[in-house]
Amino acid sequence: MSSSSTSSTERVAFRAQVLSRHLHPSPSSSSSPCLLEPRACLEYPPSTKAMDTKAMRKRKHRFRHESDGHESIAFDTKAMRKLMDDHNLEDRDWLYGLIIQSNLFNPRDRGGKVFVGPDYNQSKEQQRVMTMKRIEYLAECGVFKGYLTYSSPPSQLRRFALQEVADSFDHSLSIKIGVHFFLWGGALQFFGTKRHHDKWLSDTENYRVKGCFAMTELGHGSNVRGIETITTYDSDTGEFIVNTPCESAQKYWIGGAANHATHTVVFSQLKINGTNQGVHAFIVPIRDADGNVCPNIRIADCGHKIGLNGVDNGRIWFDNVRIPRENLLNSVADVSADGQYLSAIKDPDQRFAAFMAPLTSGRVILASSATYSAKIGLSIAIRYALTRRAFSLTSNGPEVLLLDYPTHQRRLLPLLAKTYAMSFAANHLKKLYVKRTPESIKTIHVVSSAFKPTLTWHNMRTLQECREAVGGQGLKTENRVGHLKSEYDVQSTFEGDNNVLMQQVSKALLGEYVSAKKKNRPFNGLGLEHMNKPCPLIPSQLTSSILRSIQFQMNIFQLRERDLLNRFAAEVAQHQAQGVSREITFTLTYSLAEDLGKAFADLSIMQIFIEAEEAVPAGHLKNVLGLVRSLYAIILLEEDAAFLRYGYLSTDNAAAVRKEVAKLCVELRPHALALVSSFGIPDAFLSPLAFNWIEANAWPSVEN
Amino acid sequence: MYKSVSNLVLEETCGSVRIYTLNRTKQLNALSFAMISRLLELFHACDHDPSVKLIIMKGNGRAFCAGGDVAAVVRDISKGDWKLGANYFRKEFTLNYLMATYSKPQVSFLNGIVMGGGAGASIHGRFRIATENSVFAMPETALGLFPDVGASYYLSRLRGFFGEYVGLTGARLDGAEMLACGLATHFVPLHIIDKCFSRKTVEEIISVLESKAVEHKDEWITSTVQTLKKASPTSLKISLRSIREGRLEGVGECLVREYRMVCCVMKGEVSRDFFEGCRALLLDKDKNPNWQPSRLECVTDEMVDRHFSKVDDIDWEDLKLPPRSNLPVHAIAKL
Repeated sequence: MSSSSTSSTERVAFRAQVLSRHLHPSPSSSSSPCLLEPRACLEYPPSTKAMDTKAMRKRKHRFRHESDGHESIAFDTKAMRKLMDDHNLEDRDWLYGLIIQSNLFNPRDRGGKVFVGPDYNQSKEQQRVMTMKRIEYLAECGVFKGYLTYSSPPSQLRRFALQEVADSFDHSLSIKIGVHFFLWGGALQFFGTKRHHDKWLSDTENYRVKGCFAMTELGHGSNVRGIETITTYDSDTGEFIVNTPCESAQKYWIGGAANHATHTVVFSQLKINGTNQGVHAFIVPIRDADGNVCPNIRIADCGHKIGLNGVDNGRIWFDNVRIPRENLLNSVADVSADGQYLSAIKDPDQRFAAFMAPLTSGRVILASSATYSAKIGLSIAIRYALTRRAFSLTSNGPEVLLLDYPTHQRRLLPLLAKTYAMSFAANHLKKLYVKRTPESIKTIHVVSSAFKPTLTWHNMRTLQECREAVGGQGLKTENRVGHLKSEYDVQSTFEGDNNVLMQQVSKALLGEYVSAKKKNRPFNGLGLEHMNKPCPLIPSQLTSSILRSIQFQMNIFQLRERDLLNRFAAEVAQHQAQGVSREITFTLTYSLAEDLGKAFADLSIMQIFIEAEEAVPAGHLKNVLGLVRSLYAIILLEEDAAFLRYGYLSTDNAAAVRKEVAKLCVELRPHALALVSSFGIPDAFLSPLAFNWIEANAWPSVEN
Repeated sequence: MYKSVSNLVLEETCGSVRIYTLNRTKQLNALSFAMISRLLELFHACDHDPSVKLIIMKGNGRAFCAGGDVAAVVRDISKGDWKLGANYFRKEFTLNYLMATYSKPQVSFLNGIVMGGGAGASIHGRFRIATENSVFAMPETALGLFPDVGASYYLSRLRGFFGEYVGLTGARLDGAEMLACGLATHFVPLHIIDKCFSRKTVEEIISVLESKAVEHKDEWITSTVQTLKKASPTSLKISLRSIREGRLEGVGECLVREYRMVCCVMKGEVSRDFFEGCRALLLDKDKNPNWQPSRLECVTDEMVDRHFSKVDDIDWEDLKLPPRSNLPVHAIAKL
């Protein structure tokens, strides 16, 4: 008895010793001048944040006195979190708490800390059951209260905030909720009229009805107008007849269809008296209350996927399914009892546009969801880089913290700066969306079409870098960074293929350009007003202070957009002058279109960042934000070949840019922990790798 | 008239063990400023003394410790300076923090009443021994205060939404219940606690409890609703938010935030419920506090926010906790 307790004490003492040797190596006595000097940084474990910042400040202070002359600024991470999350902080914390406190969210103890997250080792069937159970629990707690019945801007923002929190737990959870509320519920709200609202909205809100959204087909995705499902009207019975005429018309990837949905909104061509009136939406019940598939409907599973296995994606075939005439969602067009087609909008193009406009909310959500995923990846990778050491630079010297290597800083910190920029962008887009007016619809369409691709691509790139930056540990599912890649990969495809959306951006910009030139009026809208001013000049010698000035950063982004838009317009005009059709012209001018779309997105985000920064009172926080903004601007100058390709930067300037990137990384390095802490993601939503990964991997954890 | 400090905290040495006994039996060992200062000194000394391996805390009489000496705090403040009150809490929270991050095991014998500050002086330590005489409660909302001494840290880490329940209602737990706390208690249907106390706002919590009361006709539910309605509306709102925020914070952050809150309460500019609560329950003992505002819906978000903001006063600063090298990663609540 006593011997076993002694040995366990010894084991604990031994482990503590190993741990402390690893984490607090004795400072090397030789003060050899060395580029890679281990810098002051948090002590392991990064436990309580309040203490970290204080302890850090103290240590920094001492450091400044003793050796390095680096300026460092501690700032209030709570205030920064407010900027990052922007709205509904209390609602977010409430939902984080609901998740952490319930066994349904698979809490696991790793090294004395509890982490939540689905068990991805379960079969897809089990994962789907769990997703549904979690949703039912959240519904019971009142999370979805008012999701469809309140529509004020604050309640829409609340929905966005809660969606982001659910997303931080598991992408499947948020997607399954999103399909039900934003796609099915949104279709009812926006395409339906009072009779649909009365019948279905409140039942949807409390999950008596489970909805899905059948738009995509095997043969048609982004090109919704090409779908092949056909609906006709039978005036004898007053019913619509929905039919899947061929295999490529089967509905595909319909989230919720495989197991749980009771209803779907079907997108279909509407043929009245032999005339095709274009795409319309209908409500079709697909399962009865007991979960049996309705007659004349066939449903198959989409099978195992690379991610999102907690969502039951299915395929649907309609075999001349009859539904009442009232099931046409008739906000834009209707069919009378005797079979006459009625619509206030005569032009089918406009009708289609009116139809699709409300679906923008999906893109808005995806854009912000992507930034939260990037935040999780970076929080984990940077916290790990602040506790993991590798290689010593002197014989018998201590091993160096990963984040003290300039290479590691260069890999992670620019992505951190971009994630800050994109968070501001996502917040801006959400507000633009909830305050929408008929006049702002176009702007929202263009901005969301630019931001959704930019932010989702950024997330995928960030996750890949984070996965590599944490090394082999990134391969473990429970460490999240690697696994998130497969969960979020789909974001570049759904709610509008990223490349297709980016082309729409440059088309819209061209439209503005052509109409301004034709009417000979100044640019007004889509942020193009800078084109009315004289062309900005870029200094031939870029110093550090020029590179960091807001003026220069705006100038060079505006120069790029202005020049690319001019070039794009000229190229299009040239093709058309040769008699090439508009459609074919756009397929030929893709290179400039792509550069222009990027230029628009980067400039818009830059502008939003600057506005956010300007609203912050002078002080430490603002100073750090300034560094982050500069790194964001300058890394783009370094990465996008367009600046060199079109000569906005000389090769000398490009070299100055590259130097500045390295300098900014060094300056941001001491703030890395504070910057990721400001993301406000609770510890339980990160992973063991972000904390005491030795304890989490120690033998007693295996035994438990 | 006063016992000397050394009599209020009895000190014994037994090999490498130090035994500290709270000895203010008439006041149920309520912690005076002097006692807290002494404990702080003792804990600091033992921290650096390699001969000390273990600290035992006990209480003489029928209480381990009934809490902080709030009556004295109110008396001090009524002499004109709220900062005397703030000073008391700064010391107390620092002691709580020291215990939570202590390098050596602290064993507390909870043989009797453990409330408020008494919980703060024991729960943060590594071992707590409950007995059949233990009575635990965080009764602050009835006093116009909120569960402090790091309660937003340890209550928020109880299973489900038990922490919200215990913190808002001041419910009393016996020894067995304390022991079971991840707490499968027999006297309360736990799923009802979770259903009600998981709600976003105090108003919603009460309204769900009331609708359950109609369904179940359960005495526990009705008495819970009554307790909540008797408590200070401002206290309830700040307590709920404190526990919710605490759930996502470390123990140090919890104490720093609670210090902001307690200073706001002491200053008495947003609400004077604490003074009214102490008057009604501790001084006049009419048990009939006149809360201002008297209704939950009159407590605005702005009023709640101010409890969580820095105190607007030139000399005031956030609680500065001593740097500790021994922060346990798993500084989990240990109730």
